[in-house]
Amino acid sequence: MKFILNTGRTIRQGKYIENKLGQGYAEETSLCRIHPLDLLELGVEEGENILVKSEIGEIVLEVLADEGLPKGMVFISYGIHCNSIISPRTHGTGMPDYKIHEVEIFPTSEQRKTPTEILEQLGGVRYAGN
Amino acid sequence: MQEIKDMVCPFCGCLCDDVTLGIENGSIVSTDNCCTIGNAKFLGKNRLKNPIQKVDGKWIDITYDEAVDAAVDILLDADRPLLFGWSGTHGEAQCVGVHMNEILGGVIDSTTSVCHGPSILAIQEVGHPGCTLGQVKNRADLVIYWGCNPIEAHPRHMSRYTTYADGYFLDNAFRNRKVIVVDVRETETAKVADEFIQIKSGGDYAVLSSLRAILRGKADMIPASVAGVSKTQLMQVAEMCKTCSFGALFFGVGLTMAKGKYKNVRNAIELVDDLNRHTKFTLTPMRGHWNVYGANEVFSWMTGYPFAVDFCRGVAFYNPGETTAIDILARKECDACMIIASDPAAHFPRACVEQIRDIPMIAIDPFQSLTTPLADLQIPVAVTGIDAEGTAYRMDGIPIKVKKVMDSGYPSDTEILTRIYQKMLEVKGL
Ligand code: SF4
Repeated sequence: MKFILNTGRTIRQGKYIENKLGQGYAEETSLCRIHPLDLLELGVEEGENILVKSEIGEIVLEVLADEGLPKGMVFISYGIHCNSIISPRTHGTGMPDYKIHEVEIFPTSEQRKTPTEILEQLGGVRYAGN
Repeated sequence: MQEIKDMVCPFCGCLCDDVTLGIENGSIVSTDNCCTIGNAKFLGKNRLKNPIQKVDGKWIDITYDEAVDAAVDILLDADRPLLFGWSGTHGEAQCVGVHMNEILGGVIDSTTSVCHGPSILAIQEVGHPGCTLGQVKNRADLVIYWGCNPIEAHPRHMSRYTTYADGYFLDNAFRNRKVIVVDVRETETAKVADEFIQIKSGGDYAVLSSLRAILRGKADMIPASVAGVSKTQLMQVAEMCKTCSFGALFFGVGLTMAKGKYKNVRNAIELVDDLNRHTKFTLTPMRGHWNVYGANEVFSWMTGYPFAVDFCRGVAFYNPGETTAIDILARKECDACMIIASDPAAHFPRACVEQIRDIPMIAIDPFQSLTTPLADLQIPVAVTGIDAEGTAYRMDGIPIKVKKVMDSGYPSDTEILTRIYQKMLEVKGL
């Protein structure tokens, strides 16, 4: 099913901003909020995983029902998960389409990745601490 | 436990200056008056203990002297460095950054380009009918939040300045102050509004134009519904705005990131202009980082441009869409990067993050962030507002001194940047 991807701030995402390697941040930024009726149509239940695909790439997220959203729109808090599927085109303004990206969503049995795992996949090296 | 009062919270553009901190054995153990986010910032742990450098794909610990030398090598080796971030540091450090960029001939950009950059473009076109948050608190009997969600992003905005704040010139502000929320989703903020306008995604421009048409006596032209909003509701809202004594429109990245980008903001400013023919109305962008406004101020005084300033021609120029960080990275144009007080790996589209990975990159940040794994060098610094002080600009443009509560031994951003800058001058024989 096709959706408009909206990204933004959530208070939990803000709370973990200085601890982005922790579990709280990883969980919050990999949640995809979606209208309960859209969930029904997708045949997915709250807490299950979905695959979100855009022209840029794809990412696995966990769904959370949110009646505040209009049908046809999904919301993900700012973070590396949503940015994995956002295009860098800015239409001459410097600003990518963080709020109006078209995506397609499918049910999946794949697991979510943590931000560190995504970075390691990109070739990043985790610092173990001192 | 030692109590320190009237501290400033260095997290969001509200810059709350009434925070009380409890200190025990040289660390902050409690906060009072902070919101959840500010509290987490003050109690933040896991700071990097010393500079780290990636050598042959592995991290090693290095000294500050070695880190300064390595940073100078990376920056002076580059033909087109990008110095990005700046919104989470103090104005004094931003000044050093501009000087540094001048001798490097690179591009200096702040997180503005991915938050309210479009608002600045609109303000440059039609001006800024702004006022201080104090004016709003004490006078505004109507507050509009458009494309923003303060309950989640600026948690104390409503209690300090609007909905739940007392107003000196208002009788019973709590009851009489009306709040309108305009958004594409019904957020927590929308739930506490007197009037909620839910518009279809990308419909802001049309709704703003319709309100302006109604205010100019052209209601006949408006169809029964505009971007999902009924004409009846538009008429009612236009009337509420027209008949208030002092209206304040706050808007967020819901306007700047949506379809229309800076043209949405331009239309909002012109709506405020139209409203000023009937009553007093002002407009304020809800700035995110605690000193992102300061980065715009400092860059403007020093270069003439508020963000995305390019020095490759020897003199400063700026062209958002070309010299902005996202575009420079997406075009794979820069060949080294210094990232300070921000975390682009967490907030930039993947293609830009891949470019950051592929070039030498220095991160200056007290904490490990998502940018750390991609960096070649990270230099830990003091946190302004905790173990360093400096100037910051609140979202309404008021400069506030952010204080220091303790001495941790970490160098401040200004200190570390000055060391890198001076070494650069030395190497270049300047
Ligand atoms: S509203 Fe912003 S400035 Fe105030 S305490 Fe919360 S995070 Fe800090």
